[in-house]
Amino acid sequence: MGETRLRRELGLLETTMMGIGGAICAGVFVTLGYAASLAGTALIIVMVLCGIINLFTMLSYAELGAAIPTAGGEYTFAKASFGGFISFATGWFEWISNMFYAAFSAVGFAYLVSYVAPWVNVPLVSVVTVVIFSLINIKGVKETGVTQTLLVVVLLGLLGVFVAWGLATGSGAGGFALSSPGGFFGVLRASAFVFVVYLGGEAIAVSQGEVKNPERTIPRAILLTCFSLIFIYTLVTVIVFRVVTPESLAGQASPLAFVAEQFMGPVGVVVVTLAGIIAALSSVNTSTMAHSRVAYALARDGYFPKSFFHLHIRFSTPHLAILIGSILAAAVAATGVVNFVTYATDFGFIIGFVFVNLSLIKLRRDKPGLRRPFRVPLYPLTPILCIVTSLMLIFFLDPSTLFLGAQLFLFGLVAYYVRMVGYGRVYLAVGGMNFGISAFSALLAVLLWSGVLPVVLPAGVGLVVFVVAVFVSITYLVAGFLEVTRRSEARG
Amino acid sequence: MGRARNLVSLSIGFIQCMLGGIAVVFAYLVYATPQMRETLVIASEEVYLCMFVALIFSMLSIVSGLLLMHGENSRE
Repeated sequence: MGETRLRRELGLLETTMMGIGGAICAGVFVTLGYAASLAGTALIIVMVLCGIINLFTMLSYAELGAAIPTAGGEYTFAKASFGGFISFATGWFEWISNMFYAAFSAVGFAYLVSYVAPWVNVPLVSVVTVVIFSLINIKGVKETGVTQTLLVVVLLGLLGVFVAWGLATGSGAGGFALSSPGGFFGVLRASAFVFVVYLGGEAIAVSQGEVKNPERTIPRAILLTCFSLIFIYTLVTVIVFRVVTPESLAGQASPLAFVAEQFMGPVGVVVVTLAGIIAALSSVNTSTMAHSRVAYALARDGYFPKSFFHLHIRFSTPHLAILIGSILAAAVAATGVVNFVTYATDFGFIIGFVFVNLSLIKLRRDKPGLRRPFRVPLYPLTPILCIVTSLMLIFFLDPSTLFLGAQLFLFGLVAYYVRMVGYGRVYLAVGGMNFGISAFSALLAVLLWSGVLPVVLPAGVGLVVFVVAVFVSITYLVAGFLEVTRRSEARG
Repeated sequence: MGRARNLVSLSIGFIQCMLGGIAVVFAYLVYATPQMRETLVIASEEVYLCMFVALIFSMLSIVSGLLLMHGENSRE
């Protein structure tokens, strides 16, 4: 029941396309400008370095994916090695980051469309995009795989036109003299910024429950994805600096379109914009599949409601997990809050990287006899290096990323607590928190009333805040009382 | 006594869910509208802190509200 009913219908081609399409998102087309201002032409080296770091982590995915080929990716690995809250937290971050990634890609797609057709409504297009891909995902994994393959083939074709045209035409104002205006620190910051373009390839691990012959296919697809990404990104960066100088990319809304325009004319802008649109669509497709499979795996182990574990009778897809995740993604996409979504996505993916490498080390120690069709070379150096670089990346990202990360962690903690602990204890804990909120609101009201608060609010606003504080204080006091006494009734 | 308690629980639970929803909207408005930040005298570096507090408050409110309503429904 359940796990065995997911159909293994993805071959090597579809699985590889999941990885490549998951990584090449619309963000790739806009990150180059800022990264070039930090690292200069040394960005070419940064691209290769980030690709190698990504490859090391992906090797861990390959070993674990081939050894434990059930749905859920990082969550499944953490469950097999740690269990309990750590595995739940890994799945939680993975679920949220993939859902946000779907929203982010849908918004990116809508913005690119609005670049071509300015009259379109960006939030509406974002929501419609999420809906369409959720329907494709519900229809079946085969359909999802075919859609992904078509999108990525067209995307690679367009990028191929860009590269071939760039190599064929004479070089422009650019050159290959390596320079970094921000020095070594600039290269490090550019690495943290650029590394994001390699994220998403782990979609292979999430969909591993539906991969044919997983022991052979997963490691191969992961390695193919990693080498393809290094090759594509490095080649594109080489063409960029062959045509323009790093300084000329500063302030460009779409740096790659700007470069294409220099040597291809208006056709270049069309080619690059179209590639961006397709990249965004393929990311929506991959992340929709990813968040639903993680929710499915979490429900399988009792962390999420059982309805997420139900498979559609005809299509054998977790339709409710797809539907609920897509509704949340559509709600986020409708707000158009791109920065918030990007930070949350990055944080979730990087935390996932850390836990996968920790899982690899723990499983090697605890289960040495586990059959591993693929083994990470240079163990334990490789996973340790990946953990260190992943943690470093978090601190090079925007500071608000940490804030959001803490917030998402707290949400996860509450969800875990409510789900796993008996209701009686939850009532007592929530009742206590209600008393705390009530006391805090009462204090706020008193401070406002006495004028001690060191914030000068406009007269009308001050009165509204006072009334709200009193109302909240009374409401939460009553709520706390009801919850705490209910607990004592239950004991009695 | 039991009926009155049920009624109060349902009402308070509903109000808490509403307050939680309003807190989410408030967090979004603080993030998205500069006028809101000006009115409430919130500096730009305090925006994320403000959102953090609002979202935590919202989450606790919704959880508490749902527990109250769920508890009373399950008793009935």
